[in-house]
Amino acid sequence: MVMKKFINAPENLTAELLEGMCKAYSKKIALSDGKLVVRAKPKPQEKVAIITLGGAGHEPALSGFVGEGMLDASVVGDIFAAPNAVAVLGAMRKLKREAGILLVVLNHAGDVMSSNMAMKMAEREGIKFKSVLVAEDISAGLSAPKSDRRGLAGCIPLIKVAGAAAEEGKSLEEVAAIAEKFNSRIATLAVAMTGCTHPQNGSPISELADDEMEIGMGQHGEGGGGRSKILSADETAKIMFENLAKAIELKRGEKVFVMINGTGASTPMELLIVYRAVAKLAEEMGVELVNGVVDEILTVQEMAGFQMILCALDDQSEKYIFAKSNAPYWTSLGE
Amino acid sequence: MEEITLEKLKAMFSLAAKVVAENEAYLCKLDAACGDGDHGVAIKGAICAANDAIQAAADLKGGMFDAGFAAMSHSNGSTSSIYGSLLMGVADGIKDGSQSLNAQELASAFKAGLDSMRATVKGEVGDKTVFDALIPAIEAMQGAGSVLEALQNAAAAAKQGAQNTAKLQAKFGRARNLGEKSIGTLDPGAISNSMIFEAFLTASKE
Repeated sequence: MVMKKFINAPENLTAELLEGMCKAYSKKIALSDGKLVVRAKPKPQEKVAIITLGGAGHEPALSGFVGEGMLDASVVGDIFAAPNAVAVLGAMRKLKREAGILLVVLNHAGDVMSSNMAMKMAEREGIKFKSVLVAEDISAGLSAPKSDRRGLAGCIPLIKVAGAAAEEGKSLEEVAAIAEKFNSRIATLAVAMTGCTHPQNGSPISELADDEMEIGMGQHGEGGGGRSKILSADETAKIMFENLAKAIELKRGEKVFVMINGTGASTPMELLIVYRAVAKLAEEMGVELVNGVVDEILTVQEMAGFQMILCALDDQSEKYIFAKSNAPYWTSLGE
Repeated sequence: MEEITLEKLKAMFSLAAKVVAENEAYLCKLDAACGDGDHGVAIKGAICAANDAIQAAADLKGGMFDAGFAAMSHSNGSTSSIYGSLLMGVADGIKDGSQSLNAQELASAFKAGLDSMRATVKGEVGDKTVFDALIPAIEAMQGAGSVLEALQNAAAAAKQGAQNTAKLQAKFGRARNLGEKSIGTLDPGAISNSMIFEAFLTASKE
């Protein structure tokens, strides 16, 4: 089957997309050592640096969130594949500082292995760091152990909060504690109506019948098991919101931040209709929906669907979510 | 063949790289059933980089370390960590200045590789991963009376382990999320590992 994608040589996808992103936003981000995206204007040494790692093919995440108030560096692997440990260590060496580094790791086998090996080596070299593991996907079930939960787009609000805390000059211990507290109350569910193709080899990933959708599908098209006939935006939002609210034990009167992350082929129109449904559900539940993000944040090629991310907020994390960031793909929510 | 020399090791890695590269598309196809269809690319990257390092090596221990580091640096995803830590661990299990490995030295070097890998990468036989081929292969090397026997045992055990993965349900990586739907498919990581041990055996006999 011919792949209908505007690409060149498949083996150069990652290098070319990063080059494009860094040229488009050259005042904010720059490419360093091959596949490492860093800030164009480095953060002062006395502040904690935030690094994350992950595969490509999910743009704008993760590299599009490098910038003031968010990431200092994003270590990129290849399409849907984690960077290797050597690359992660390279980023940690580059950003080594007395203030320390917070490494944000999404729970996927490859990312965890590479970051574990890199952290072992970094420790030997005396690099000061802490790490936070994002594993907020609840498709494996509410009772599933953390190790069985994947890290999805919930990493982005977490990076926003940790990044703002670091920018404010908080210590590594404080930034890590703020990130962990926020992390303890994020949950994500994904839904897909179509699968996608691996852009390097054209193989289809997770095919769904024409009249089917699947709740719980991951960000590489891997199935989650909750298949059904296609439901309306309101019906889909209700199932997802209720499960997510339960997962983070959201209580009446609490504040919640919601991100509707389009995975590639679902239109802004659809995503906005879903957000509207969420706003109604939040009102019915008696929780305060502070502003949200409705956008393509972490995509899965041409997959039709979205991820819904619920984050419980306290006064501190609310302030950090609204804080300014100049990362190319983050829309600042503050006044 | 009494012992594995650097020259022999070069031939073994060269054939393994060739076989894996020839099977790149097949391995991607296997991976697409449960994963994201890129295992062929990742393992080819790792084993070809390892082979390049071995071909440039001046001694067994250093060559094996360089191979591990190259596999880790020139590949991505789990494969880079798995083969990187395995081969660097094998290097740790080879004596300084060693010119050749007898059956016992070969087996203990691979055992050291397995231990090093398991310190970073969790997994057991039955998880439907590379471990289903690799663990039995390295265990089957232990106690072999000759290098040939060690490699024969390893290749046979890896093959058997890789074929067994069809009966298993995935517990790791992206395939895990498919649950029972993953039964009936071969694990690409175990299959490529079996190809490598088979190539090692074939090249060692030439």
